[in-house]
Amino acid sequence: MTSLDIDPSEILVRYNVKMEKAMTPEDAAAELYPKDELYRPIAEAIFEGEEDDVIEGLEKAIDAGKNPIALIDDALMVGMKVVTDLYDQGVIFLPNVMMSADAMLDGIDFCKEQSDEAPVSKGKVVCHVAEGDVHDIGKTIVAALLRANGYEVVDLGRDVPVDEVIEAVKAEKPIMLTGTALMTTTMYAFKAVNDRLLEAGLKVPFACGGGAVNQDFVTTYELGVYGEEAADAPKMADKIVAGAGISALKEEFHKH
Amino acid sequence: MAINRYTKMAYGSADEMIFGKSKFPVKAGLGLEIGGGYTTPEVNYAPRPEAGASKEKLVKEYQRITTDIMNRMVQVGFPAVVLETEHVEQMTNNPTWGGEVAHAQKTIMEEFHDEYGIKCALRHTPGDIREDRDFLELRGDKFNTLMESFEEVASNGADLLSIETMGGKEVFDYSILRNDVPGMLYAIGCLGTMDMDFIWQEIASVAKKNNVVAAGDTDCSEANTAMFIAGGLLDKNLAHTLAIIARAISAPRSLAAYEAGAVGPGKDCGYENTIVKSIAGVPIAQEGKSSTCAHSDVMGNLVMQCCDLWSNESVEYHAEFGGTSVQCWSESLAYDCALMNTATATGKAKDLRDLFTLSDKYRDPQGYVLAYDNAYRVGEAIVKDGNDIYLRAKNAALKSIEIMEEGVAGKLELTRFEKGALADAKAALGALTDDQDTFMSDCMSKYKEEVKVFLPENYGL
Ligand code: B12
Repeated sequence: MTSLDIDPSEILVRYNVKMEKAMTPEDAAAELYPKDELYRPIAEAIFEGEEDDVIEGLEKAIDAGKNPIALIDDALMVGMKVVTDLYDQGVIFLPNVMMSADAMLDGIDFCKEQSDEAPVSKGKVVCHVAEGDVHDIGKTIVAALLRANGYEVVDLGRDVPVDEVIEAVKAEKPIMLTGTALMTTTMYAFKAVNDRLLEAGLKVPFACGGGAVNQDFVTTYELGVYGEEAADAPKMADKIVAGAGISALKEEFHKH
Repeated sequence: MAINRYTKMAYGSADEMIFGKSKFPVKAGLGLEIGGGYTTPEVNYAPRPEAGASKEKLVKEYQRITTDIMNRMVQVGFPAVVLETEHVEQMTNNPTWGGEVAHAQKTIMEEFHDEYGIKCALRHTPGDIREDRDFLELRGDKFNTLMESFEEVASNGADLLSIETMGGKEVFDYSILRNDVPGMLYAIGCLGTMDMDFIWQEIASVAKKNNVVAAGDTDCSEANTAMFIAGGLLDKNLAHTLAIIARAISAPRSLAAYEAGAVGPGKDCGYENTIVKSIAGVPIAQEGKSSTCAHSDVMGNLVMQCCDLWSNESVEYHAEFGGTSVQCWSESLAYDCALMNTATATGKAKDLRDLFTLSDKYRDPQGYVLAYDNAYRVGEAIVKDGNDIYLRAKNAALKSIEIMEEGVAGKLELTRFEKGALADAKAALGALTDDQDTFMSDCMSKYKEEVKVFLPENYGL
């Protein structure tokens, strides 16, 4: 380097440093954990993303007489909500959510094995990446955040033919369908999906996002709701569960 | 062709590295010498979606694009240009389509060269089609189609051959969303390099046979995925300190192309290219402030520091107020190059280089590590164990961490979160063995179990 150097504060602003919350993620989480002494260790283990500790906590709670299926809502989902709330507030980052969701899903499997009853989920969502498109990381994030928020996800994967999407919607009867496309050449499949769903009389909200997709495009088909960030997907599902229709969703999530 | 690992730096010091000049310039196309003392714009474009409907429509679209660019270059008096055609999938899957597009483009470029003497070259980048719907399928029928595609474009007018290969991506996609740095190291440093060794020997022979240039690769599928997930300053999807560790690990991976016979210019979106240039001395393409048509960037000026070709990454072909999109962006690139070339002609190149670097060096940890003085140090860490693909990638990661730690002691500001991710990454790397075989077999069992789409046979394992 030549002798040139600068005081960077005169030419750029590290807004992330400037805006960082004073509280550490651990402190913030500690305020949100359930008070119950059987549930709290489970919630903590989810926050830490430690599967083994989640199972251990569940075992203790079951030994103490708790119903395994009730534990899904009372402990696992409560622990996961701590994580998703802190993610929404910008206190923790996505990999933490992913690791916590993995731990929570292991916990749910464990609870199911311990019981003959089936748990009721908040609702089912079908996720897919448009036909011809292999860019699937955004979809994986969307699916993980939906699961983290208590939704059952049927993940059709990437490069999914239109027919297969329609079949899945018929078979699974989801509360919402999501589509991800990162290429201007593949996003047109969403229009085809929309038309075929309408033909079949399936008026399911169709949340669409991904790099190439924009609000103007999604507005051109009836069932489409544009989602800018993955974190919008569970928010949309929550609204649907609360009774919102497609136009109300468009009203709320079409930000531009 | 054989693999020759780099165990020495091409440059004696970081200060010798500069834009427009490389240790080993590459002659290509119609009168161009890349890295021979001047920078050249490299224009990238994507056809409108409707144009993909048939071969005839595609060829026509690329003819329009090529003519538009060449016209604008001569209208504004620019001496040289490179065009890059990144294949849409149909063009690679039907090798003759790619060949016809290359031929049509080159014919137009030759006409302009003959009429005006403008220096130019055509790069073709077939898509890495080696995958099934769910799995990578790196070796087998799709590989054969891909090689046919290279053969077709090389024999029909493409001067520079490139690709953005995907080896290791299945393990990488899994680990990047879980802060798993050893997984990233295995995916990019080991699996990625093994696939690079495999495919680039083949591409180099196609190039040799057709007397064209085996140019180079980029770790787009991994390091850029990390960079995009990391996003802007306020995004919360990945610590930028981890994104740059992935990038550092990608340098020895992209270097492998040159170890297998490629000679440059490296691909534009390989932000690891400054490190690669320090080791291999090959010319490199870069993109940044003039590729905002394709993506936002936190080191847009800095990456110009040592570029030989200066690119816009990609823009869809359509009308803008200033002409077609490819005309607008090629003109911007060419003006950037004119400024760099003026600095070279007036003996001010090093000053301009340092201004580019300094304007972004402290904006983000990614730019800090890629600043050419630091990038050079990552290069030294790589060549120290140049013959061991695992150790050299691990060295690169550790060196990038050390550089960031020094930065924090100085003018680089990091959030507590970024520092935490850095400390965790350091601890995870510190706990790893130095033995390649142990690492590889540990990872093999772990990821075979955790990543259901990971097929070891893709890597000859
Ligand atoms: C990584 C990458 C790849 C990787 C993909 C790895 C993977 N497993 O996904 C690989 C290397 C495989 C790849 C391949 C190709 N790629 Co690519 N790739 C990218 C890159 C660099 C980053 C994409 C990414 O992962 N972003 C991060 C994720 C997290 O973002 P995201 O998916 O948009 O999701 C976010 C939001 O959109 C939202 N979201 C997503 N979906 C949904 C859904 C709902 C309901 C909601 C609410 C929100 C939501 O949530 C996420 C986070 O908030 C982009 C560059 C760019 N500018 O985007 C190019 C890019 C997308 N690729 C491009 C191209 C051209 C290709 C290839 C054709 C290249 C080639 N010649 O081979 C092939 C395509 C093969 C195919 N048939 O699909 C072009 C597309 C241009 C176009 N035509 O539109 C881009 C834009 C690069 C460019 N500027 O030219 N690519």
